[in-house]
Amino acid sequence: MKTTTRQIRTDVLVVGAGIAGLQASLDLADQGRSVVLVEKRPSIGGAMINLSKVFPTLDCASCITTPRMASVAHHPNIQLFTLTELRSVEKTTDRFRAQMVKKPRFIDESKCIGCKRCEEACTVYLPDEFEHGLGARKAISIPFTNAIPQYPVLDEENCLLCGSCARACPTECIDFLQEPEEIEVDAGAVIMTTGFDLTPIDVKPHYGGGGFPNVLSPLQMERLLAPHGPYGGVMRPSDGRTPDSIAYVQCAGSRDKSIGVPYCSRVCCMYAIKQAMLLSGSLPIADITIYYMDIRAFGKGYEQFYQNAKAMGINFVKAKVARIREDENHNLFLRIERQDDGSGPQEVQHDLVVLSLGMVPAWIPSRDGIVPLEADSDGFVRLPSAKLRPNLTTMDGVFAAGAATGPKDIVDAITDAGAAAMAASNYLARLAGSRVVTAGAVR
Amino acid sequence: MRSADDLKILIITTMISSYPGANTVGQARLQYSPGTYIIRVPDPVLFPEDFYLRCFRKGMDGIIVMSSGSDCPYEGAYQRLSARIGRVYERMKAQGISSSRLKLTTVCTVCKAAFLKEIRDMQEAILADDGERPTLAVQAA
Amino acid sequence: MTEASISPTQDDGAVGGSPPRDGVRVGVYVCHCGGNISDVVDTAAVAEALAHHPDVAVSRDYVFMCSDPGQNLIVEDIQAGRVNRVVVAACSPTLHETTFRKALERAGLNPYLYEHVNIREQTSWVHKGDHERATRKAIRLTAAGVEKVAQQEELHSIAVEVTHHVAVIGGGVAGMTAALATADQGIGVTLIEAADCLGGRMQELNTVYPTDDKAADLVRDLEGRVTAHAKIEILLAARVTEMDGHVGKFRIAVQLADRSIREIRAGAVIFATGFDHYQPIEGELGHGTTPAVVTLPEFQNVLREAMPAEGGFTYDGRVVRSVAFIHCVGSRQIEGIHAPQPDGKVNDYCSRVCCTATLHAVKQLQDRFPEVLVYDLHKDIRTYGRGHEDLYELASRRGTLFFRFPDEEPPTVNVQDGKILVTTKDILTWGEELAIPADMVVLATGMMPRDISDLIAMRKLPVGADRFLQEVHPKLRPVEMANNGILLAGACQGPMDINEACAAAQTAAVKAAILLAKPVIELDPFVAEVNQDLCDGCELCLAECEYDGALTMVDVTANGVTARRAVVTPALCVGCGACAAVCPTRAINVAGWTLDQFDAMVDAIVAEDVASLATSERRRKSYKPLSVAVKS
Repeated sequence: MKTTTRQIRTDVLVVGAGIAGLQASLDLADQGRSVVLVEKRPSIGGAMINLSKVFPTLDCASCITTPRMASVAHHPNIQLFTLTELRSVEKTTDRFRAQMVKKPRFIDESKCIGCKRCEEACTVYLPDEFEHGLGARKAISIPFTNAIPQYPVLDEENCLLCGSCARACPTECIDFLQEPEEIEVDAGAVIMTTGFDLTPIDVKPHYGGGGFPNVLSPLQMERLLAPHGPYGGVMRPSDGRTPDSIAYVQCAGSRDKSIGVPYCSRVCCMYAIKQAMLLSGSLPIADITIYYMDIRAFGKGYEQFYQNAKAMGINFVKAKVARIREDENHNLFLRIERQDDGSGPQEVQHDLVVLSLGMVPAWIPSRDGIVPLEADSDGFVRLPSAKLRPNLTTMDGVFAAGAATGPKDIVDAITDAGAAAMAASNYLARLAGSRVVTAGAVR
Repeated sequence: MRSADDLKILIITTMISSYPGANTVGQARLQYSPGTYIIRVPDPVLFPEDFYLRCFRKGMDGIIVMSSGSDCPYEGAYQRLSARIGRVYERMKAQGISSSRLKLTTVCTVCKAAFLKEIRDMQEAILADDGERPTLAVQAA
Repeated sequence: MTEASISPTQDDGAVGGSPPRDGVRVGVYVCHCGGNISDVVDTAAVAEALAHHPDVAVSRDYVFMCSDPGQNLIVEDIQAGRVNRVVVAACSPTLHETTFRKALERAGLNPYLYEHVNIREQTSWVHKGDHERATRKAIRLTAAGVEKVAQQEELHSIAVEVTHHVAVIGGGVAGMTAALATADQGIGVTLIEAADCLGGRMQELNTVYPTDDKAADLVRDLEGRVTAHAKIEILLAARVTEMDGHVGKFRIAVQLADRSIREIRAGAVIFATGFDHYQPIEGELGHGTTPAVVTLPEFQNVLREAMPAEGGFTYDGRVVRSVAFIHCVGSRQIEGIHAPQPDGKVNDYCSRVCCTATLHAVKQLQDRFPEVLVYDLHKDIRTYGRGHEDLYELASRRGTLFFRFPDEEPPTVNVQDGKILVTTKDILTWGEELAIPADMVVLATGMMPRDISDLIAMRKLPVGADRFLQEVHPKLRPVEMANNGILLAGACQGPMDINEACAAAQTAAVKAAILLAKPVIELDPFVAEVNQDLCDGCELCLAECEYDGALTMVDVTANGVTARRAVVTPALCVGCGACAAVCPTRAINVAGWTLDQFDAMVDAIVAEDVASLATSERRRKSYKPLSVAVKS
């Protein structure tokens, strides 16, 4: 493999460009600190840019995330690397040496104008990751509408090398021979904002093990609810029918030792309530039922949001869902045991079911891992002095924030990221003995 | 009778919401009438009532104000805008301009369908209103 | 790269419009975007049409304006003195507005003398089937851009000098954490505490969940670091009596214990005023009438003093064999069921920490007195945080009996023959009415904001329906207030536990550090400005302004005549333009977005012919208001 190597010196390396990483980067860069922000996916924005609306304000997620993404992309103190993987971080005396590999997009970014002609010309359709498989994308495509940067990525594994894209490109920027690039970062501090994954939808075989088309993950429902979603509305994936009856199964991936996720994922109650509200707006005659153990609407304005949902007619039923089966028309039957009346075990039918999956760490640290941190029993980054210093890890100079240190909603992740930026900045100030402004404007 | 494409519709968009929303429509290559002119502002609350009336007098056939609604970053601006548009309606009525030629709505950064629908609705409203430009009885003071 | 294609000629290759007037020489650059625009819009025709605009000095079209050669066209035209204002008609400004503003700067021109016209996302990509109309639209939009930039003045970011000091109000865990984090940046901090010691509510706790650290150790650690910090000045028994100014330069008067007044000047202010415990109304669930009914904070004191003794856990001289904990006392209240607070409102919010705090108290109790039987009466158990669920599980394992009461039917506490009976409906047994005998009852009381109405009034701080201080955006800007430079740390903003308060405090500190990172804060220039010659002092604008202090009336003397005029404080103005809309004389405008510019843009859009448009100078003189608003 032929590679080129670049070397960059920076104050802070931020790993992961979801909302926590974006916020930590901005809060450092706005202080005058230089930041290298690395993201393994082709766009920044993380999970948040994938959502329809956010609770409890019901702001459009894209509308409030995009400006923040743009601020990061345009910030003079932030160097952004997307489609780039962190390979290792080792501590030298007072600093960190990080090895990263920028994977090829197979386009010349300096020439690309984001016109999508390559995408139009491409003849290969593939499941769209941004739509969680509910839509299609091309083998060369810009990852999603408001992706930053607005460059397409050529899917090496699925490209037929037919050359249509290269012929369609007005700037001749397609480069089938592009090589990965090795980048070495010399950083004063590191912030891990590696985020979360959903608990896998197939983790519970008695909920269909991911095999029922009308049993959705919450992120699939986010896409169906988004104004720019794959179907242009909420429909059943199996037959395109508008569902009349939708159920949410809470704690479908949390508070369950049997799947190794004994903890509460914090956000599932609220996203289920939010989606239920949005559904009752777009499908006014549909019945929406939330089967739950406890409703954990603990944040600012959340309880009021929950009470509004009840007043809107969303059914909250305290019940355990034992299993889900489907008939030949992919209608779903939930075996439930209500805990709030004496009606005993029963089977109820719904057209569409959302499993309220929980959060698991996207990156589980280990002492011999990419960054030698420790994990707690829950797999998230261990915080040895969590109470007063919620961002300190087991390694001096490495900080963590957002869902990397446990499930968090957006506002808690943003607050946590700001705290990590402050902690990292103070760590650097302490090392330097005094505060040094390294670069740029304050905005 | 003019066609929908011959109309001149002014679309007032906000920097934070509806202007990027119009870009989203473009990125999706969704087509709409070229008789549409998009301008962007921090917030439409800055336009006086006169501005709308002058636009009609100058020959604008319709105006769609695409606000940020609840995403509006400015305190109280949406309420003020909405009240102001209410007063513009009264003045339009007094001057014999159909109120259907001015619409206050909310369009977000990814509201493709809503954006297109507002344009279609406005075209239909104008064409229903004789397809003629409004004539104003008002003179400069 | 193709050559720059240039519309019909002059000597330098560019199209010459009418001779430029009053110094305005606009350069127009129409981008092909490699066919993305030019396949639909006749870009050469656009450049040609614009060349006839009276304010246009140079009009060109080019295959990729964003490329280096494209940008160089602009730079060269500016440096040769051909143009002093620039319009690029290309893609969306979100992509390349900054690119071209930088090109202007490189050429030595003020970057705001620039207008970006979107003829790709909002023209060529959306009118594919009608090249003629798309071209006409592009011409009109570009002409509108010319009209706007022709009237554009140079803009400069607003510099606000900054006092390199931060005031932190409140010396609890949030205030101390915020002070430390700020001071570690080398910024001076004054920490103002109303009590005569630091530590706040944390001093009431024995151990903290879920780590079981001793609260006193944590307080001592923080207090020690705060006290030792060279950059932190601590004012105890101190009360804020005045606060004015704005971001960069606040002035705060503090009354000290000896009644003397200290004046503090600060660039930013962090509120860490904390919370009060909900205080049950006399007789509520037996509190205040039955000695064995205590609140959770009172139970912390009981636990602290309870000594393992013969016969086990005793309280008030009696052996306690069973304790009933009742959740949501003073939280999640429902109108019509719970008695309202003095302001007429019930506490309809969740206090977030009490579920885990209750189960942690259960753990502390049973760690020492395992024989005590525990009942837990709740609506929901909200052990959401890391390690919290373990406390719930531990309580279950140790035999706590959980009962769930309906939202609308809270339990009651009665005394019969000297015995306490807690009566509740239990959802988990399908609505059965239960009477639970308990030797002691603990009420998990919620949080209410500390009464800081005096401080709130000083700066008109926004307060939510829950009476807590209100952040500017509950999702994206959780520690900033609408009042720029005033920041929130901890439970003054809403219920939170210690580590959440520490995170919020450090985030507030980072925002303060950002504001104070340079000797001047540079603010966007797009704020309202008043033309004093046009202002007639009618004050209509004042009523429109939502931002306290942004717009004020002052006496202005010019040519020996004194008159009241509107004045903008740029540091407080957000540039929404609500004021501009009501000014009968057009004295107020938002810089960069003036009404004259918009009028001119509309003229360009409705014009049949670009050449017929007036020059900017003529236009400026011709404005007459359509009607004059009448002051009521």
